[in-house]
Amino acid sequence: MNEMPVKDVTALTANDFGSDQEVRWCPGCGDYAILKAMKTVLADIGRSPDDIVFVAGIGCAARFPYYLSTYGFHTIHGRAAAVATGVKLANPELDVWVVGGDGDFMSIGGNHTLHALRRNVDINLLLFNNAIYGLTKGQYSPTSPVGTRSPSTPGGSVEAPVNAVRFALGAGARFVARAADTLQTHLPGVLKRAHANKGASFVEILQNCLVYNDGAFGAINDRSQSHEATVRLEHGQPMVFGKEEDKGLVFNNETGAFEVVTLADLKSEDTIAIHDETNFVRAQALAELEQPGFPVPLGVIYAEAATEFVEARGFSGTKSKWGREELKSLI
Amino acid sequence: MTYAVTEACIRCKYTDCVEVCPVDCFYEGENMLVIHPDECIDCGVCEPECPEEAIVPDTEPNTEQWVALNQKYSEIWPNITERKDPPADADVWSGKPDKMDYISPSPAST
Repeated sequence: MNEMPVKDVTALTANDFGSDQEVRWCPGCGDYAILKAMKTVLADIGRSPDDIVFVAGIGCAARFPYYLSTYGFHTIHGRAAAVATGVKLANPELDVWVVGGDGDFMSIGGNHTLHALRRNVDINLLLFNNAIYGLTKGQYSPTSPVGTRSPSTPGGSVEAPVNAVRFALGAGARFVARAADTLQTHLPGVLKRAHANKGASFVEILQNCLVYNDGAFGAINDRSQSHEATVRLEHGQPMVFGKEEDKGLVFNNETGAFEVVTLADLKSEDTIAIHDETNFVRAQALAELEQPGFPVPLGVIYAEAATEFVEARGFSGTKSKWGREELKSLI
Repeated sequence: MTYAVTEACIRCKYTDCVEVCPVDCFYEGENMLVIHPDECIDCGVCEPECPEEAIVPDTEPNTEQWVALNQKYSEIWPNITERKDPPADADVWSGKPDKMDYISPSPAST
């Protein structure tokens, strides 16, 4: 077991957030990259490991809590968001993170993801999306694209996949972001923004499963090609992309959709769209951008200030105003 | 933690490892590769790729010197992301012990 960490949070480094457990993901798994980024972010946030809880369901991603020196709770399949909600309500002072894969969040726990988001509980939900069931050796998942050949879809999947960002926006999430595992200069910033948001923060992290779904996201999480395949969103900044920043997105008011233009061919009447993360309609249009044909938006897609659940319910204060005695009398 | 390249790489430099690294954290000297300890995500995918078994995790004993060496040179050598042909005499140096005397501090010529 880990020793209870010390409270000198100013001196904490990324290594202080690692546990003594041997990491058992497959060599080359994108989860290692996310763990690395998360440890860096936790050190930067500067809270003591005993003020932080990671809650996970079932799956490869759900092993995450074992590898951190924070509190952790490996719960049952799909129910991590519900357990995390309970943890946050019991002690609102804690930083609560929920980690799960595309099966855990979008299929088995789809309803819990939805309700955590619409309730706006102040928890951070991290969806490690590898578009495959890795732990059970490679069956298609709710986010697998049409045509995915797997042991359970030998002829190729015919189902329309879940677009996780669209799902989160539809569920009423007030903070929706996307990142990719190996983009280590980008991912930590997104995680910090998710943590800073008061309310339910949803981050889809595109994660490569080297063994069962290698290359599922193509150039997106390949550092050398990513700038051509993604557009990095910055609030208030024009949506340009490409290694030479020679392409951009224009919003077509007629169709309500984004279009790709090369800056050299920009017509005089068009302007490159400025990212406004508070604009829900634009966020929905961004959710539709997929490869091939469009750059995949990475960064904070939507962020709307809203009262989070504990405050909305009147539980303001550091802890529940129902002390132990009152609870006992209720029973 | 991190993985680190040891002296077994010197004058062999097969570069199979760089092809599989998901975060492109290998750096190339004239006759050796190193891993940037701050960029390595500890995924271990490179370790079995090396024909010389030159890559070790820093959880193994007596690896501090290799981590320090990797740290030093990864900050001055260029990044390498694609496999290239090994040196013509790589076979000659394969498996030879104590190759630190032959390390070149020069970066790879690009």
